[in-house]
Amino acid sequence: MLTLLALPLTLLGLQQGMAQRLAGRVSPTVAALVEQLGTTGAARGLPIDPLIQKAIEGSAKSIPDDRVAAAVRLVATQLDTAATALREGGPVSDTLAIAAGAFAINAGLSGSDITALARVGASPQALTVGLRVAGTLAALGVPRAENIGLVSTTLRSGQPAESLLLLPAHVQSAMANGITPAAAAAGLSRAAAAQARHGPPPGRGQPPPHPAPPPHP
Amino acid sequence: MSERDFHPLVKQLLDGELTIADLPAELRAEGEEALRLLTGVDRSPVELPAVTRRVMQTLASRPAPAVPAWKRVMRPREIRLRIRPWVLAPALAIAAALILLIWPATPARPAPLVTVRFVLVAPDAREVSLAGTFNQWDAHATPLVRSGSTGVWTATLTLPAGQHQYAFVVDGARWVPDPGAPAVDDGFGRRNSVLTL
Amino acid sequence: MRPGAEPKDGDIVRAVLAGERERYAVLVERYRDRYARYAARMLGSADAAEDAVQDAFVRAFDQLAQCKEPDNFVGWFFLILRNRCFAERRRSRAEAPLEAADSVAAADRTDGGAETAERRRALQLALMELTPDQREVFVLKHVEGLSYGQIAERLSTSIPSLKMRMHRAYDRLREQLRDHT
Repeated sequence: MLTLLALPLTLLGLQQGMAQRLAGRVSPTVAALVEQLGTTGAARGLPIDPLIQKAIEGSAKSIPDDRVAAAVRLVATQLDTAATALREGGPVSDTLAIAAGAFAINAGLSGSDITALARVGASPQALTVGLRVAGTLAALGVPRAENIGLVSTTLRSGQPAESLLLLPAHVQSAMANGITPAAAAAGLSRAAAAQARHGPPPGRGQPPPHPAPPPHP
Repeated sequence: MSERDFHPLVKQLLDGELTIADLPAELRAEGEEALRLLTGVDRSPVELPAVTRRVMQTLASRPAPAVPAWKRVMRPREIRLRIRPWVLAPALAIAAALILLIWPATPARPAPLVTVRFVLVAPDAREVSLAGTFNQWDAHATPLVRSGSTGVWTATLTLPAGQHQYAFVVDGARWVPDPGAPAVDDGFGRRNSVLTL
Repeated sequence: MRPGAEPKDGDIVRAVLAGERERYAVLVERYRDRYARYAARMLGSADAAEDAVQDAFVRAFDQLAQCKEPDNFVGWFFLILRNRCFAERRRSRAEAPLEAADSVAAADRTDGGAETAERRRALQLALMELTPDQREVFVLKHVEGLSYGQIAERLSTSIPSLKMRMHRAYDRLREQLRDHT
């Protein structure tokens, strides 16, 4: 149990860990900012890894310090928004879920979308996967309503995480066949809802039909 | 049973199953000797405050926890092929990219590792590498290998289940998202590709 | 109370496996003293316990992907620490004076004074003459206060075999203490 006396030692460990991961990969200015945001964030239960990753990414892409700092601050804000949104949906403190929520927000979803998924009441692991998949579907162009509808229906159906992870591939297959992202997601929602009511259709576990390869350019 | 051994009833006393009053008179002395032995037991708590700092210092330079080798041997169950044609300025001559996902055969839980093949068609490139969250965005860490003269560059990685972002780096300088994958804003005016395993 | 306080062991394990190794510090802080006393009585001194607990945490990190029940990290960690304690070679007689210093220092802080310190030193030395299995059952029952049933569950063994080990331990301890006092 973390007592007030023990907390500084844990933070010392955190800071040393962060410093080691950033050393030689980012400028001292950026490192100092990440350590500051990371330490205060960690004390509030927020993950540190997304901040470190963004800083390392910016430096690797030769982005000037002030823009890397801005991007890192943005990630910190997204983590805060995600954490708040998750809390409103239930007592969720899983740092992986918070990171997944921040990813979903970056992909275009809103705090209320995150809360809606949290309210489904799935386990922290399932919710984390659901948030990652929702962000990925948003990145594919699935509109928010169809996106959250599909992911929450799948979460509620209690299927294993693999079902969630296959959703983006299904949507991409449909899109390669000329179906819009919204229609693809809506179709998958209906299938998931039907499955929840009636059980799996025959032939469950088969991959969706492969799209025909496009003509070689 | 040697005379140096405790009597079985005295051993039960030591175990806490009998009290000294339960012992026959001739064993009382031996029972008291046994209880005196127990007074030497040191139950004082031991605190090790230095352990946290020392452990975290040791871990700072340690490789990430490795999944045992036997878990890497997985039989493919499904192969998913996603192709999305990408139209770009002819000068770049990058035609399309494929991701081949080989899903492992597992029971209820998602597998800890997934093998992913990254492919980029770039006939005019001199070198292509892969940079992402799985390799500290190091543009030199994961070069793709060109196969023959067709301009198809590939790399196969085994990645932990989870969420990864990445991009291809062409000729050491041009950061190109994967045309066949979902893309998100990277915060620097470009796009990163997303891999959700 | 800060929001999201006291994350579960399983959450932290998953976060560490996902790359957030800094979070491991929370587990270390949470459990470093839980089995410190067990390690100290098994190995003969707090210094040896410190090395063993430190090594066990590092080993647990290396093998974290093999922890089958992340929500029971502490039970799994105990087994790693236990292996580490069993692997420690018997301390030589030359190191015995250090143990005396340990015990004396500890006794100064408690009641009983020099006599208690002497009895503790004598028993700890006698314990070191037992086999690790015998010493362990004695420590778990009489130092940690577990019942035979709890010990049997933790070590995945039977109560009769534990009692047999313990009763041999009692005889050997008696022998050691008789010979050296």
